[in-house]
Amino acid sequence: MTSAPFPNRPRVDALDKVLGATKYAADYALPNLLYAMQVPATIAKGRVTALSIDAAMRVAGVVKVLTAGDFPPPPAAQQGAPPPPATITRDIAYRGQPVALVVAETLEAAIQGAEAIRPTYAADATFTATIDGKGAVRQPVQPTVGGNATTAMVQAVTRHSAEYVSPAQHHNPMEMLSTTAVWEGGVLTVYEGTQGSNAVKGALMRNLRLTSEQVVVKSPQVGGGFGQKGGAQRHTALVARAAMLLGRPVKLVVPRGQIFHNASFRPKNRHRIEIGADAAGKMIAVRYDADQQQSREGQFPPNYHETPPMMYGIPDYHGTAANIRIDTQAPGYMRAPTPHPSSFAFDSAVDELAVKLGVDPVAFRLRHRATRDPIDDKPFSSCFLHECLSEGARRFGWKGRPLAPGAMVRPDGTQVGWGVGCGAYPANVHPNIATLRVGADGTTRFAAAGHEMGQGIRSTIEQILVRDLAIDPARLEIAIGDTSVAPQHVTAGSWGTASVVPAAEQAAAKLKAAIAELLAGRSPGGNLHRQLAAVRRPFVQVEVTTVGPGQGDKDVARLRQGGMAVSGPEYPAFTSFSYIAHFVEVHVEPHTRRIRVPRVVSIADCGRVVSPRTAESQVRGGVVWGISACLREATEVDPRFGGWLNNDLADYVVAVNADIGEIDVGFIDRPDMQFNSLGAKGLGEVAMTGCAAAIANAVFHATGTRLREMPFRIEDLL
Amino acid sequence: MDGGERSGDDSSTITRRTALGGTAGLAAAVLIDAGAAVSAAPAPPPGATLLIKPIVNGRVTPVTIDPRTSLLDLLRELLGLTGAKKGCDHGQCGACTVHIDGRRVASCLTLAAKTDGRAVTTIEGLADGDGLHPMQQAFIDHDALQCGYCTPGQIMAAVACIREGKATSRASIREAMSGNICRCGAYVGIVDAIADVAGKGRRV
Repeated sequence: MTSAPFPNRPRVDALDKVLGATKYAADYALPNLLYAMQVPATIAKGRVTALSIDAAMRVAGVVKVLTAGDFPPPPAAQQGAPPPPATITRDIAYRGQPVALVVAETLEAAIQGAEAIRPTYAADATFTATIDGKGAVRQPVQPTVGGNATTAMVQAVTRHSAEYVSPAQHHNPMEMLSTTAVWEGGVLTVYEGTQGSNAVKGALMRNLRLTSEQVVVKSPQVGGGFGQKGGAQRHTALVARAAMLLGRPVKLVVPRGQIFHNASFRPKNRHRIEIGADAAGKMIAVRYDADQQQSREGQFPPNYHETPPMMYGIPDYHGTAANIRIDTQAPGYMRAPTPHPSSFAFDSAVDELAVKLGVDPVAFRLRHRATRDPIDDKPFSSCFLHECLSEGARRFGWKGRPLAPGAMVRPDGTQVGWGVGCGAYPANVHPNIATLRVGADGTTRFAAAGHEMGQGIRSTIEQILVRDLAIDPARLEIAIGDTSVAPQHVTAGSWGTASVVPAAEQAAAKLKAAIAELLAGRSPGGNLHRQLAAVRRPFVQVEVTTVGPGQGDKDVARLRQGGMAVSGPEYPAFTSFSYIAHFVEVHVEPHTRRIRVPRVVSIADCGRVVSPRTAESQVRGGVVWGISACLREATEVDPRFGGWLNNDLADYVVAVNADIGEIDVGFIDRPDMQFNSLGAKGLGEVAMTGCAAAIANAVFHATGTRLREMPFRIEDLL
Repeated sequence: MDGGERSGDDSSTITRRTALGGTAGLAAAVLIDAGAAVSAAPAPPPGATLLIKPIVNGRVTPVTIDPRTSLLDLLRELLGLTGAKKGCDHGQCGACTVHIDGRRVASCLTLAAKTDGRAVTTIEGLADGDGLHPMQQAFIDHDALQCGYCTPGQIMAAVACIREGKATSRASIREAMSGNICRCGAYVGIVDAIADVAGKGRRV
């Protein structure tokens, strides 16, 4: 099998987006709509002792206030599935938790009503707000081991060890969390921007005791997700319950400050790394201990050893990891969840070792070629990290870079530094059940599992369908992110493209075969729509089921049930990762010591690039995330009262246009034919990995100062 | 980022002062004289007491509002114009950017009451007729978007950026566009799109 390069076509939904015509969850006009607003808890831990709704009910326009008594008790535990988010409870586990939901005829009345509610609490003063706090509980997880790092480290002649820190961060997609719920004829329809319409549906079924037939979740367009919208949100069942009790549609747009406190976040994490090199200057052993901030009941795993062993073919690796449980809301998956911070730490450490050895950091990395997964002892299906490094160095103009730090200074005193950083991300996949219908009326409809968060999943699907079928692309509907069109699966972890394009390809092949059979040797001419019209067939529809390597019926059954059905990166015969190399130039201003990033070159190995235009944008976005995470973003815990101090976009600073310079993106574009029929691995997450390390390494090259804790601040270089 | 980078000439950046204290618009008066079309008034919501007549996308739009209503909520919840987006409701992100009398404002920080008799232009009214505004076409050509949520605000700000005479260099465009956050990180494409339109010298 082969897979030819794909043409550069415009983003399939760009026209609607520039017209402002794209409908996001909060954009649907519904008759008799009511507006909701949550009341957040003002203590960090404890219990609501009294909550009077009287003042809120006196506000003109308020129709109902929901409190703990309006919800069924928590559902029974279900094997293999995490519990859905709690609804409204009297017990308070973290600051900002909802204690009531006010529903009103207008948004203004709902806000006024919510502000009128003043519960009384029995506060528990023993809460622990930070990982260094007294009540923090450390829980190690299984170590990640390949070879024997302790023995190998003894053989090392050069060693580097240091600690690296990455702060808590919040995703802040521009579309705020929102839910619009409609209860009609015994069916609950929920519009919510989510990456997991199936997960939202499952949580609603369990929290509100509804059957699968009674819940539809629609999320056809998501205004950015980055992992925060990957699961069920706490507010969703509250809004749905209000719609059920009142018999009218209810909408809640969650204020951003409440999102900071209730939705997931990237937990603070720390990395103690030791790398040893032999006499030839090759890395031979790694010892790596990581830990992370965690809530009391949270399940986000500290998978910091997912990618470091897959980078440089180091045979002996020993990694430990631990959760540190405190009183906060549950942390979760945020773009390149663990590989972003671990690649910052690990590729900084690799750079420090290269400096210690007096070797050019690109040449040092090229001494090491990864061909096997040392943890599971399997060959990689493909790994073109060397090609990324070589191509990136060529485009960037790396040759001639002075080895010593502080050697490139502009006449005005600006220090210039060049850094390289690498990253990887697992190539994962889930099954898909897709239907494809081509009509004599000129329409085509493809329905499958997938969510469009802006990464361009619809554009990848369109590429396959217009490549394989003579159809009218202007009348192609790609129905995804809707539990009523196909079984849905959470879209995250860079598994979207690899999980849907093989389904599009197989569906197209099956449809072509069905039409050929129908034509029975006749050749009426024209595109498929005209051919169908010529033989008087209104439409032809096919269904296909696809699975990833090693997957089978039980994975398909999990998909049908709305559960997680992801495999990877270890498959029966191989291990699969995507790779990237970033080359970064930084300027450090002489007086303010402000760090600027005027140019970046990033070369990715994501297998075959299915949609070149949206893929380039994905990588640029990942680089922006890398710059923003490294130089700007940190959410600060209030150690006295719990909760997050900088819970808005003025105080939680993210990269703006003026922070970003030129970003040149390239692809190796060589298909991984073991992974799937298109040869496509994942891209959205790997794009960010290694970028922060490249910045750190460039800052060292500019200044001679090694920064090991993100975000880098002006005061770190004074 | 640095607060100093976001501030600047009061007449062109999105600030509470601009949004609330701007002078009544000449453009509005001209439109009324030209006999702007009149939209049917939507049913007033409970608690609405204030009748205003903004000229929304060229049409006089009588509407009775709760005096606390923001321009953004008026557009989205009462007039069904959902192109302008709520990204923060605090004037911190730019997703709600619209034009009042041709100048960009954060509609979430603008009381709807202040738009009585003034010309409000949203993304839905940017293009003449059924075609695309050159900036909309440039955003497609340069893939200056991903999720699309901030895009209406970016485009309204981008048009204002050129009108304000700030699209003179990539650095100047970046400064003038830094009130509009794009979390997907489409900034390079956004600068390309604006430079493209500005470079063609077309009136926007």
